[in-house]
Amino acid sequence: MEGATQTETKIRAESGIESGPRGPGCSLRHFACEQNLLSRPDGSASFLQGDTSVLAGVYGPAEVKVSKEIFNKATLEVTLRPKIGLPGVAEKSRERLIRNTCEAVVLGALHPRTSITVVLQVVSDAGSLLACCLNAACMALVDAGVPMRALFCGVTCALDSDGNLLLDPTAKQEKEARAVLTFALDSVERKLLMSTTKGLYSDAELQQCLAAAQAASQHVFRFYRESLQRRYSKS
Amino acid sequence: MAEAAAVVAESLAGYRARAARAVLEQVVLPGEELLLPEQEDGEGPGGAGERPLRLNAGARSRRRVVCGPGLRRCGDRLLVTKCGRLRHKEPGSGNDGGVYWVDSQQKRYVPVKGDHVIGIVTAKSGDIFKVDVGGSEPASLSYLAFEGATKRNRPNVQVGDLIYGQFVVANKDMEPEMVCIDSCGRANGMGVIGQDGLLFKVTLGLIRRLLASDCEILQEVGKLYPLEIVFGMNGRIWVKAKTIQQTLILANILEACEHMTADQRKQIFSRLAES
Amino acid sequence: MKETPLSNCERRFLLRAIEEKKRLDGRQTYDYRNIKISFGTDYGCCIVELGKTRVLGQVSCELVSPKLNRATEGILFFNLELSQMAAPAFEPGRQSDLLVKLNRLLERCLRNSKCIDTESLCVVAGEKVWQIRVDLHLLNHDGNIIDAASIAAIVALCHFRRPDVSVQGDEVTLYTLEERDPVPLSIHHMPICVSFAFFQQGTYLLVDPNEREERVMDGLLVIAMNKHREICTIQSSCGIMLLKDQVLRCSKIAGVKVAEITELIQKALENDQKVRKEGGKFGFAESIANQRITAFRMEKAPIDTSDVEEKAEEIISEAEPPSEVVSKPVLWTPGTAQIGEGIENSWGDLEDSEKEDEDEGGSDEAIILDSIKMDTGEVSNIGSQDAPIVLSDSEEEEMIILEPDKNRKKIRTQTISATQVKAPSKKPVKKRKKKRAAN
Repeated sequence: MEGATQTETKIRAESGIESGPRGPGCSLRHFACEQNLLSRPDGSASFLQGDTSVLAGVYGPAEVKVSKEIFNKATLEVTLRPKIGLPGVAEKSRERLIRNTCEAVVLGALHPRTSITVVLQVVSDAGSLLACCLNAACMALVDAGVPMRALFCGVTCALDSDGNLLLDPTAKQEKEARAVLTFALDSVERKLLMSTTKGLYSDAELQQCLAAAQAASQHVFRFYRESLQRRYSKS
Repeated sequence: MAEAAAVVAESLAGYRARAARAVLEQVVLPGEELLLPEQEDGEGPGGAGERPLRLNAGARSRRRVVCGPGLRRCGDRLLVTKCGRLRHKEPGSGNDGGVYWVDSQQKRYVPVKGDHVIGIVTAKSGDIFKVDVGGSEPASLSYLAFEGATKRNRPNVQVGDLIYGQFVVANKDMEPEMVCIDSCGRANGMGVIGQDGLLFKVTLGLIRRLLASDCEILQEVGKLYPLEIVFGMNGRIWVKAKTIQQTLILANILEACEHMTADQRKQIFSRLAES
Repeated sequence: MKETPLSNCERRFLLRAIEEKKRLDGRQTYDYRNIKISFGTDYGCCIVELGKTRVLGQVSCELVSPKLNRATEGILFFNLELSQMAAPAFEPGRQSDLLVKLNRLLERCLRNSKCIDTESLCVVAGEKVWQIRVDLHLLNHDGNIIDAASIAAIVALCHFRRPDVSVQGDEVTLYTLEERDPVPLSIHHMPICVSFAFFQQGTYLLVDPNEREERVMDGLLVIAMNKHREICTIQSSCGIMLLKDQVLRCSKIAGVKVAEITELIQKALENDQKVRKEGGKFGFAESIANQRITAFRMEKAPIDTSDVEEKAEEIISEAEPPSEVVSKPVLWTPGTAQIGEGIENSWGDLEDSEKEDEDEGGSDEAIILDSIKMDTGEVSNIGSQDAPIVLSDSEEEEMIILEPDKNRKKIRTQTISATQVKAPSKKPVKKRKKKRAAN
């Protein structure tokens, strides 16, 4: 026992930032989530995947600016804030992807002429950032009690140069990968809500990644369920 | 391997509708489908096919079920839209399926007709007051909607005052409207809340729990000190005891009740009663 | 979004409670709320919680050329952001008075007090110096932002390590974290802000006001001090008159508080360093309180992906081969060509007027097209005027293409019947669709 922990520490010290070695096969890093940790927003969640961490706050259904008012549904806004410096094009593009995913599951028609605002703050980026943002946004929306058609989760896959599939890659793995694919899946039919990819991959590899993401999403949704069950265990 | 099998089984459970009765008082998640008691027996594997064969299929009375907050109807399916515990209220009469709803711990209030809430007057404009109730837009309150108010005899309401009132108009498409009188024109406890006392916010779930008829918290609190207390369905509580100290203690206890089990609450109350 | 207004009754109650030396959260007059400091996995990253107020701090560095008048000094840059996450009234991208005031105070407290040795940040005089950037994000606002922010800033600076550099002649070598251990900044002292709120024209005083207390206060005095009791900056706001004795008393209190906080910071830094050295677990995941029922964690989960390839093959074999995309570029005029038909713009919202224009344009053309079709009968050209129709009928079209085999026929018949009933003039349009489906 003693020896095992020591070797583990050594490996960890060698790999530097990343905590713990990862098996050769596919696995998700350790997950952690805390809900309702901020007092001001209507809903909040902090989501950690390995060393990647995102904090999300949700307001809504709240008052909306007249210029942004939509007469038959809620105005959904997503803001993503980087940790260093001001938001740039990369953040805007991610905001858009997250917003479109949320739009697909939030029942905005139940609260017309209101705003639902999701604010995401990157706390640390150690790979699979977009997936972590999606997961944090979903848990915060659930915490805020915003009516939703289904839950959603984000899963990132990476294909390395040998064509091996990696789930929930770290920053280093993402850097070395030939292609990085991120999917958003819904909890009811496990169907695709959003996908964004970078790099080269074949038809078959896309389908493989998608199938792997679906398998991984089961674990994520089980994690959602268990953490929510724990949260409501005292009422 | 065994674990993988369990995952598959669970994913199927996530897919397929669960019987509402089986998950009563349990945590439900958005997107789950629930089956009402009368749908249960019909919809098993291949259930839809068997149904027409039943002799009394047509004779089975359709029971009226009210679908409360956190649930929505989609065709003949019942879907969950919010996370929380599924609750059910038994019907009063025989031909009634009762009410199902999801008890969540959300903080944001959405006006509902008939709810009693505590509002803060934010503006006086013409013959209406604008009242902040914590929803997405301020509610309107006519100056005539107070007991004994007439065009000559206007109620004394200042900006920043607290109002305890009831919604008469509240739907998603219209500006909510409050009144401080019941249908007979009586105040019935509603109106402007006094200048003293403390206002604080809790979750909507806690308010509902406190207002439930079998709530032991309120009885325990009442034993501690003599107090005046107003609960607004919008998550606001106004409390006033004899001294500032007592008021503060009461407010802190009620806030803390959120995340305590019944046993923990008992301990706290017995400790306080001793001191 | 607007802030929830403060009611008269809250205001009165708060003031009366302060007169009786009572505070909402049971604190005494000079008590601070609990301070919790946690570190991220990166160097220079920390979250400071002061009661429910939360600030995230991150320090980063960059090699830049120095300012002309200070050729041998590194550059310090502070930026506090009030995110909408912290309070609904904070609007993104707006420089509010509060924000400007807080940022200025932070700069005065940390830069002007010379707590960081900027000369040690010089690499090549006049050419290369380190720019140290401190980003602070307010995550939750429950009063006393400045104290929390100043603690977060100094903690992050103390925690930060910059990459090592070496200079040989004109050559500057930058070492990565693996090559050489990064070096900490040299910090002379740790200035910390302490806020005092005054009520009833200065009759009553509270340390570390929370949000509701801040709303009813008459004046605020901020004293930045280090543990050697040297005042680094002092600022009184909201235009309150204070007596000399009051300021002296506040500075005495500040001295005590700063000593306590400095000790706490040093302990937190030592703990983190110890854990890192021993190779234990560190980072924010470790700082989540596990006993809280709102928190939950899951260990690393292996996922069985053995059947992924089969599944993928299955899907690919079931799916129709991807339709041959017509990628013949059409040359409109020299310098302007078109490949495919394009999709909806997914970049930001178009200006409203622009959008309207576009819509109008689209429908106009569609009508024109219809009338042309009526005249010419069966002519079904795929030309320039096609695009607007594709736009307006996009929904139906998608359905036809995407549905799997069995349902497709059904839907198609439906659409056909619908269009037939609707308008005979649309006939050519429908025809084109069929063609699409056949492809």
